[in-house]
Amino acid sequence: MVEQTPLQKAYFAGIDIGSTMTKAVVIDAEGKMLSAIKGPTGPEHRHLANEVMKQALEQAKLKLEEIVYIIATGYGRFNVPFADEQVTELSCHARGVYSLFPGVRTAIDIGGQDAKCFKVNEGKLVDFIMNDKCAAGTGRFLELTASSLGIRLDDLGKLSLQATSPVEISNMCTIFAQQEVVMHLSQGVKIEDIIAGLHHALAERVAALARRLGIEPDVVLTGGVAKNIGMVQAMSQSLGCSLLVPEEPLLTGALGAALLAKDRVTKLVAQGKPLEARQRRLERATFYS
Amino acid sequence: MVWCMGIDIGAAYSKGVLLRDSRTIATAVRLSGTNHQATASAIREELLAKLGQAPPSIKVIATGIGAGNVTFAAGKISDIVCTARGINKVFPEAKTAIDIGAQSTRVVKLDSNGMVVTFAVSEKCAAGSGRFIEVIANVLRIRLEDFGPLSLKSKSPITFSTGCAVFGESEAITRIAEGVTAPDIAAGVNLALASKVVSLVKRVGLDQPCAICGGGALNPGLITAVETGLSIKLLLPPQPQMVTALGAAMQACSSPAAQ
Repeated sequence: MVEQTPLQKAYFAGIDIGSTMTKAVVIDAEGKMLSAIKGPTGPEHRHLANEVMKQALEQAKLKLEEIVYIIATGYGRFNVPFADEQVTELSCHARGVYSLFPGVRTAIDIGGQDAKCFKVNEGKLVDFIMNDKCAAGTGRFLELTASSLGIRLDDLGKLSLQATSPVEISNMCTIFAQQEVVMHLSQGVKIEDIIAGLHHALAERVAALARRLGIEPDVVLTGGVAKNIGMVQAMSQSLGCSLLVPEEPLLTGALGAALLAKDRVTKLVAQGKPLEARQRRLERATFYS
Repeated sequence: MVWCMGIDIGAAYSKGVLLRDSRTIATAVRLSGTNHQATASAIREELLAKLGQAPPSIKVIATGIGAGNVTFAAGKISDIVCTARGINKVFPEAKTAIDIGAQSTRVVKLDSNGMVVTFAVSEKCAAGSGRFIEVIANVLRIRLEDFGPLSLKSKSPITFSTGCAVFGESEAITRIAEGVTAPDIAAGVNLALASKVVSLVKRVGLDQPCAICGGGALNPGLITAVETGLSIKLLLPPQPQMVTALGAAMQACSSPAAQ
């Protein structure tokens, strides 16, 4: 006999398996974040999802049984065997960004392998446009070009702020841009100026995508690239408007997934459905614990 | 006797051709490197060394992306024009030339005098050029010249799900991890690149006979893939990499100052 949990004591989780990073967030019934875990996505999503979820539970001091509903998102979302539901990252990002910035109308997420721009209204996804065809305009562009410079990804932002005359990177293609970087280096161009040029090139590419969708304030920037202060400035310059950036720009997808999990259950309870049904489904999915 | 030299400074390799009365006397090829000026001089020295004695005067024409760095050249001429002229010299009957270089692919339609009728260039992205082969050769840890022969051993080429060389590199690594063999990956790359070349040819319009040249034409697997894609046989020059430099040398011969 499964004990029925009152909604106030329910917990929810979101897990976002991106191309580069896997993120998990656990929230309580108030929507308060109890834990947030980030780990690199390996080749085996199944094991990683379990591992990241386990860590998130430890941090929140909860047992898996106490989580009422789990939503998986991101490109690896079908490899989360214990999730109750899979939701596209666009819907999850929209929900997550809205919870942090209720005034958001346009959100731009630059991930490791794609860039997404979406319109949000009251937390709902209205329209979107994305680039996942080619590495230009994604985090990969910076990852590869930074490696040609021998600079760590985390250091790009603050170095770029010391640029005095940024170079122009004329190649869209990441591989050709990488060659261009080597050429600039051989000509003795300051690394800071090259980095600022790369930021500008990436920002222009993503801004062009966003312009096709239409930019409406408030504009929020998320994804790993938003942790780079130089990119935030370059994006703001290319878009001609100020940008809001979450404290943890990597987590909006997972947070949104957890919040959507809470929304789903709240709605079911309001319809008079008991919470135990969800609990049973979750128990069945805990084969690995 | 009229002595002419064509020097083609490409994105990856630089080529030189020395002509005496329009006959090829010597050729040279080396990596372009980062100092094009030094590379151009080294090619000139190599060509002259093959000759034994320096002729009284040589007219030099430069071409390719680094043409501006050939300081001893009398002038520079677009690589499109030189490719057309070079192909016309080898195959006077050719109506279309496909030139697959390290950084761009060019399709040139030409008339019976080797004059350019129209052309198209794919230079925006590495997936449409020889660079894609370089990237994957690096993943497979094989030399560039072994890529073509390796691809011919393929039994079932992979299909790349992406048109991007960066994503293609990740895909190749994933497929290797899945146990796909190197020949199947190499053949998949040839098919992917060939499909880009074929669509470029179709944009310009195919007139036969059609010749293929550039460093990409040293890859027999790629040639077969382009032939299959176009459903034709291609004309292959004996030294496909030298065609544009040959065209530059021909241009040097025909310009009035060389007489």
